[in-house]
Amino acid sequence: MTEVLQATKSALLRLSPVGATLWIIRIGIIALLLWGVVGSIIANRYSAAQWGDFVVFGLAIGSIYALVALGYTMVYGVLRLINFCHGDIFMFGAFSAYFAAAPLARAGTLEEDPVLGLAAIFAVAMGISAGLALLVERVAYRPFRHVQSLAPLICAIGASFVIQQSARGLFGSTVKAYPEISWLQGDFSVLSWAVPKLQAIVFLAAVTVMLLLYLVVMRSKLGRAMRALAEDRDAAALMGIDIDRVIVFTFLLGGLTAGVAGVLYALIFTQVHFFMGFVPGIKAFCAAVLGGIGNIPGAMLGGLFLGTVESLGPALVLEGLNIPAPYQLRDAIAFVLLVLVLIFRPSGFLGERIQRRA
Amino acid sequence: MQTKGRSIVAAIAGAVGFAAAAMHIESSVAETRGPVTDPVGVVEIDKGEPLQIGVYQVLSGPDTANGVDQKRAIEIAFAERDNILVGHPVLLHIEDSQCTPEGGQTAATKLAAISDLVIVLGPSCSSEATAGAPILWNAGIPSIGTSTSAPRLTAPERGLEFAGFLRTSYNDNDVGSSAADWAYNVLGVRRATTIHDGSVYTEQLANVFAEQFTALGGTITSREAVSPTDSDMRPVLTRIAADAPELIFYPVFVNAAGHITRQAKEIDGLEETQLLGSDAVFTREMIVAAGRAVVGFSFVANALEPDALGEGYPAFVERYKQTYGEAPIQGSHHQAYDAASIAIAAIEKAAVTNDEGDTYIGRQALLDALYATRDHKGLTGILSCTEHGDCGHFNFAVYEFTNSDPESFSPGVNPKKVYP
Repeated sequence: MTEVLQATKSALLRLSPVGATLWIIRIGIIALLLWGVVGSIIANRYSAAQWGDFVVFGLAIGSIYALVALGYTMVYGVLRLINFCHGDIFMFGAFSAYFAAAPLARAGTLEEDPVLGLAAIFAVAMGISAGLALLVERVAYRPFRHVQSLAPLICAIGASFVIQQSARGLFGSTVKAYPEISWLQGDFSVLSWAVPKLQAIVFLAAVTVMLLLYLVVMRSKLGRAMRALAEDRDAAALMGIDIDRVIVFTFLLGGLTAGVAGVLYALIFTQVHFFMGFVPGIKAFCAAVLGGIGNIPGAMLGGLFLGTVESLGPALVLEGLNIPAPYQLRDAIAFVLLVLVLIFRPSGFLGERIQRRA
Repeated sequence: MQTKGRSIVAAIAGAVGFAAAAMHIESSVAETRGPVTDPVGVVEIDKGEPLQIGVYQVLSGPDTANGVDQKRAIEIAFAERDNILVGHPVLLHIEDSQCTPEGGQTAATKLAAISDLVIVLGPSCSSEATAGAPILWNAGIPSIGTSTSAPRLTAPERGLEFAGFLRTSYNDNDVGSSAADWAYNVLGVRRATTIHDGSVYTEQLANVFAEQFTALGGTITSREAVSPTDSDMRPVLTRIAADAPELIFYPVFVNAAGHITRQAKEIDGLEETQLLGSDAVFTREMIVAAGRAVVGFSFVANALEPDALGEGYPAFVERYKQTYGEAPIQGSHHQAYDAASIAIAAIEKAAVTNDEGDTYIGRQALLDALYATRDHKGLTGILSCTEHGDCGHFNFAVYEFTNSDPESFSPGVNPKKVYP
């Protein structure tokens, strides 16, 4: 005990003013969170089923964030570039697939054979998103790959605007709505708890895609090459890895997952419009940073964590702090988490700890 | 040392100059052009040159129908005069203000930069006007809001920066109070929840409703807020369901209203809760956004039936159909038409044309002519402008959507009026 006290005392004495401030902030944040949680629990406003609903809703939207975050994290891993137009690639896929979904609904295919209909919708979205991702890589990123300046970043932002306004020009400014599929409506009964069917299917589909992607990256030859490239590009080139091919493969994977995410998002929320990719794109970026940018399991974890916190946080914490209309601060949760992670753990949940410089 | 001293003096002089500009010191020097002297400024239009009028409306995003409908109504108002006003062809400068403060600010800044712009018609949204109207009046350009109904825009304490702003839309003080009265006295609701999206219009309207409902003896179980871009409303609806309200009043725009309407029915505890919106969703896009859930959804709006409007309304609808191939697509077009109408009357009153055919319009004179509008026959009825800029009036009605096919949108049919 004395040794522990001695060690604590010497650690405290070694603490710099900045370090002490950060510790005070950490303690303050934890105290605030605890106060909010205790307050919410004491208020006893929600039933167990409602708490469960918060978690289910959060996991559903979180899995969509995770799928989009995978694209950010993979591209960053190989190119050290934030692909800011990735949210718009997600939007473009969803929007394009609407033009497959609407005729299929009118023809009755989505009711008579929903699996075939959904497969067609996913195929269109994934194809369009992947194609667009490859086009962006070829036109906006490859020419600037060796430029040591802000040019690649500016290109990424410019590509985002081009895609948005192209969608507006092609698809119009107004909202389009995905058809409702009766096969996806209703609830599953799990231990006398009604779990919304659509959210459960979206979550399971997203997790399946994430696992498949993880297997591809960990077990396939190109996946191994991707990891080698992320580790050390020059060494990978010296080992005979075709850098261009691997980068194209990375963008292809990102586009495919964005297409899946777009359709899942549209199935839950139905509305698609040319600006719909902006907010999910930003949040998916936050999720990628939360999990550790460049880390694939981290992106998955970050997305699920962010979605759950967004859904649960206002009811569990903000309400306990007596903050009125807490759900208006949902978006703020994502960005506050981003700031906190950048301050206290810049490498993210699963990223490697950044070693202190000597 | 001398150089340093000079630098300090120059810096102080620059700071003073900046401060003076920033404080917006009113110039006491009137402008004279031609035969007209005006304390704010004079617009000079040479013979044969166009008379320039600005329009800013929401022309993109989920609320596009709102802005497009009003833009068309404005175009019809001028087309009826062969686009000629005080002997000059009319040139409309149209900007998309996106129903956001940033969009309103950008659009107003672009319009304010047009020299000799006479007047601006719009915007569609109160948040746009909050940002845009002061920018325009700072350039001496009056503006007439066409569906900007937030109470604060014409409140007595609104500030000098809004002196150049009037509106032909009604005041949400009337809307919120009427909605609360209807919910309490007609529907018999005693527990209600409100949801707004943080924008000027929705927040103020929700607050008026809540205050009046409480004053009548009802209980507001909670006052919630979402972001305009939110899609996942299930968590906030789950929170609302915990208090078991009988009615949810959400005067939000199409995107959020569509999500709330769809998702409310999926939440345990809200299956029987009545849903009530406002005229921000009086558009075909609401049917698209809400899908099957739109059937039975009600909203409060200004009555569009001929007996509630001016006698020129049926003819206007026919002209609209002939020009654009479809009936009006939203519920504020008549207000936009009236804005153009009173602007035309005020310009004709304030304009001075010389023998050479050049026209001069004093900016303050134009504004005075607008405020002096009395008993003007418009599509919404007889308009008279108050000292704070309210020119429109409100005929309370409740509409309900009856069909989820977007092609069936037709004001009066789908949605149909259910009260009075």
